[in-house]
Amino acid sequence: MNLRDGLDGLRDFWKEFSRVKTGLVGLAILLVFIFLGVFGRWLIPFPDAMKHWQDITYWEDNPQSAPPAWTNWFSAKKGVPSSVLARPKVEETKGDNDVVIKAFTFDFKFTYDLAPKDLIVKMAGDGPIPAKIEIYRPDGTGGEIWRDQLNLSPGQGERISLARSASDGVLGFVQSQNPDIAATIDPTLIKPMTVMFTKIAPDMETNPVALKGEYRIVVTELVPSSDYKIDTPSIEVSGHVSGILGTDKSKRDLFTGIILGIQWALIIGIMTSVISVVVGVFLGIVAAYFGGAVDWILTRIYELIYLLPVLPFLIVISAIFKPSIWTLIILICLFFWTGSFKTVYSMALQIKEETFVEASKALGSGSWRIIVKHISPILLPYSFASMALSIPAIIVYEASVSLLGLGDSTIVSWGQILQAALTQGAVINNLWWWVIPPGLAIALMGMSFAFLGTALDKILHPKLKTR
Amino acid sequence: MYWKYVVRRAIYGIMMYIVMIFVFSTLFNSVADSTMRSQIDEQVAQESLGWKNLTPDQRDAKLASRRADKIRQYHLDDPLPSRIFFRSIRTLTFDFGNSTTIKASNGDRLVIGIIGEALPRTIVLFTTEVALVTIVGVAMGLYAGRKPNGLLDRTVSMLTMITNGLPAWWLAMLAIMAFAYNIPIFPSGGLHINPAPTGFAGILDYLWHLSLPLLTLFFLGVWGTAYLVRNIVLSNLQEDFVMAARARGVGESKVLFGHTLRTSMPAIMTLAILGLFSSIAGNIIVEGIFNWPGIGNLYFEAVQQNDVPILMSTLAIETLLTMVGFVILDIVYGFLDPRIKVGGTA
Repeated sequence: MNLRDGLDGLRDFWKEFSRVKTGLVGLAILLVFIFLGVFGRWLIPFPDAMKHWQDITYWEDNPQSAPPAWTNWFSAKKGVPSSVLARPKVEETKGDNDVVIKAFTFDFKFTYDLAPKDLIVKMAGDGPIPAKIEIYRPDGTGGEIWRDQLNLSPGQGERISLARSASDGVLGFVQSQNPDIAATIDPTLIKPMTVMFTKIAPDMETNPVALKGEYRIVVTELVPSSDYKIDTPSIEVSGHVSGILGTDKSKRDLFTGIILGIQWALIIGIMTSVISVVVGVFLGIVAAYFGGAVDWILTRIYELIYLLPVLPFLIVISAIFKPSIWTLIILICLFFWTGSFKTVYSMALQIKEETFVEASKALGSGSWRIIVKHISPILLPYSFASMALSIPAIIVYEASVSLLGLGDSTIVSWGQILQAALTQGAVINNLWWWVIPPGLAIALMGMSFAFLGTALDKILHPKLKTR
Repeated sequence: MYWKYVVRRAIYGIMMYIVMIFVFSTLFNSVADSTMRSQIDEQVAQESLGWKNLTPDQRDAKLASRRADKIRQYHLDDPLPSRIFFRSIRTLTFDFGNSTTIKASNGDRLVIGIIGEALPRTIVLFTTEVALVTIVGVAMGLYAGRKPNGLLDRTVSMLTMITNGLPAWWLAMLAIMAFAYNIPIFPSGGLHINPAPTGFAGILDYLWHLSLPLLTLFFLGVWGTAYLVRNIVLSNLQEDFVMAARARGVGESKVLFGHTLRTSMPAIMTLAILGLFSSIAGNIIVEGIFNWPGIGNLYFEAVQQNDVPILMSTLAIETLLTMVGFVILDIVYGFLDPRIKVGGTA
C-alpha cells in the first residue's frame, strides 16, 4: 500500500464517516476533550493543582463547599464570588531614621447581598514589621480593624484571616459609630465580616442589610530600616460562590479537578483499549493460524478470563497490591483483550485459508511474517470500532475502583473526586456541584467514544446498517 | 447423542470451575496467611493474660510454643503448594468454614449462614431487575427492530450510547440526591425503616425501599438490552426466509413473532440466562450506595476487613453460578440448534 492509496482510502472513509451524524457529534466532543486534556493545564485557575491536589494548605484560601459562581443568577441573595485582590496602589512615606511606611490600597467593589465569608490578607517580607489594616466603606465611615507586629522571614509569610482576628477592631469601629448598638453585640460572637459589610442599624446582626459600593482596604506596613523589606501584600476574598464549578469540602476547586481528570480518563481509556485490542487481535490470529496446542491453551485462557467477574477481581487485586495507575491499566487489559479475541479468531480462520497466504508460504515466508505482515493489517481496522466501544466501560471500571478508594491517589481522576464526594457526604448535604459534573464528564466521554465506535461499526460492518 | 453432549459439557464446566478455584486460592494465599497469623498472635496474647507466676523468659518461651502450636493446627507451616491445595479442596467441597471478622445478624460466624442471609436480598433486587429489563427490553427491541429509524429505534439507540458509559453508581447517587433529599418520596437506602414494621405494612415498607434502586437499575439496563435485541432482530429480518415469508403474503406481525422472534430466540436466551445468573453477584458499589445489605456489600466489607473465607466463598459461588449459566446455555443451545452438538467440541 503506498501513500496515495492510503490517502484515497482515508478520503473515502471520511466521506462515509461524515454521513453518520452521531459519529460526527462523538468526534466533536472527543476533540474538545483532547484539546482540554492537552491545553487544560493553562486554562485552569490553579496551574499547580496536579501536584497539590491532596495538599490541604495549597487550597486553604478557597471557601469550603461553595457552589459555582453562576448560581448567583438564580438565587435571591447574591453571594460574593471568591477572588484575589492584587496590584494595590502603593503610597510610600519616609519617616525619621530610614523608616519607610508603605500603604497599600486595595479597591473592592461589593455589590452583593451577603458579606464575604473572610478576607485573608497575605503578607511576606523579612524582619519585624508592624502592620495595620483599615477598611473604608462606601458611606465614608471606616477605620482600623487590625494591628499587630509581624515577624516575617523569607519563605515564611503571614496570612491574616480578618474573620477570625479582627473581632476587637470591628467592635471598636461599631463603637465609634454608634455606642448603643455596639453595647448590644456580644464580643465573643461578633462576625467581623458581616458587620463590616452591613449598614449599621440596631438589628444588623439578626437582619443584616448589605452596604453596597466601593470599599477600600488599606494595608499599612512599617519598614523599620533598610535591612528589612516587605513584598506587596495580596488579599483573598473568600466568598459564598467560587469559580465555574464551585469547591468541595476540602476547599478544592472542582473545575480544576474536572479538567485535570480529562487527561487521565483519556490516557486510561485509550491506552487500555489499544493495548488490549492489539493483544486480543494478535492472540486471536496466533490461535487461529497455529491451531493445535496453541489454539487449545489460548482458548482455555480466554474462557477462564471470560468467566472471571471483572469488578470483584479488580477490587480484590487493588486492595491487596495497591496498584499505581499503570499497573491498573495492565490489570484492566488482562480482562479486556478477550473482547476482540473470539471475533478475530473466527475471521482469521477464514483468512488463513486464502490463496495469498498460501502464496506467501510458497514463497518461503515464516509464520510470524505472515501473521504480522499479511493477516494483522486486514483484521486490525475491524477492531478500531471495538477499541472505541470498549473505552466507556474501561473508564467506568477505573472510576469504580477509585470510588472505593482503591485507586492511585497520586493522580486526579473523576472517580476520586466522586469518592471524596461520597465519603464526605455530598449526597446527603445536596452539594450537587460536587456530584453531577464528574459523573457527567465520565458519561460524556463514554458517550463520545460510544458514538464514534457505533459509527465506525456501521461503516466497517455494513450488515448492521439500518435499511 | 444429546445426553453425551450434555454430560461432556457439564464435566468440562466442572473442570473449569476447579481451575478457577485454584486461581483464587493462589491469589488469596498471602492475604489469608497474614490475617490468620495476626489472629493467632491476638489469640495467644489474649491467653497470656491468664498466665501467672512466670519469669519473662518462661513467658516468652510459652508464648512461642503456643504460637507454634496454633500455626501447626491451622496448617500454616505446611509448604505453600499444599496450603493452596487444601484451601482449594475445602472450597470445592463447600466446606467454607468460619469467617474471620464478619458476623451474621445472629452473631454467628458460619460463612454459609452469612452468605445465606445476604443472597436473598441481592436476588430480590438484581434478579427482579434483570427479569424486568429482559421482558421490557425484548419487547422494545422487537418494535424498534421492526421500524428501523423510527422514533423508538432512535430513542433506544441514542439512550444505549448514553447509558453505555454511565456508571450505575453515579446514577444511584443522583437518584438518592433527587428523590430522597430534594423531593423526598423514597428512602435514601436500607431494607426497611427502623424499627421494622411487621405483617403487610412490613411488605409495603420493603417494596418502598426496593423501588428506588430497582427503578434506577432498570432505567440504566433496559436500553442496552433493547438495543441488542433490536440488532439481533434486524439482522434476522434481512434473512432470505423472512423475504420469502413476506413474498408468500405472511402478515407482518406473524413474520415478526413467528419467524423472526423464533430464530432470534437462541441469542435472546443467551442474554436472559447470562443476565439472570450474573445478577446473583449483585453490584458491589450500587449496593453500597443504596445501603442494600446483599452479596455485593458483603463482598466489599470482606475486602476491607481482609476476611478471606468470605471473599473466597462469595467469589466461588458467583463463579459457580456463572459457570452453571454457561453450561445451561450451551445445553439449551444444543437443544434449540441441533447443528451445535454435531460440531461437538464446544
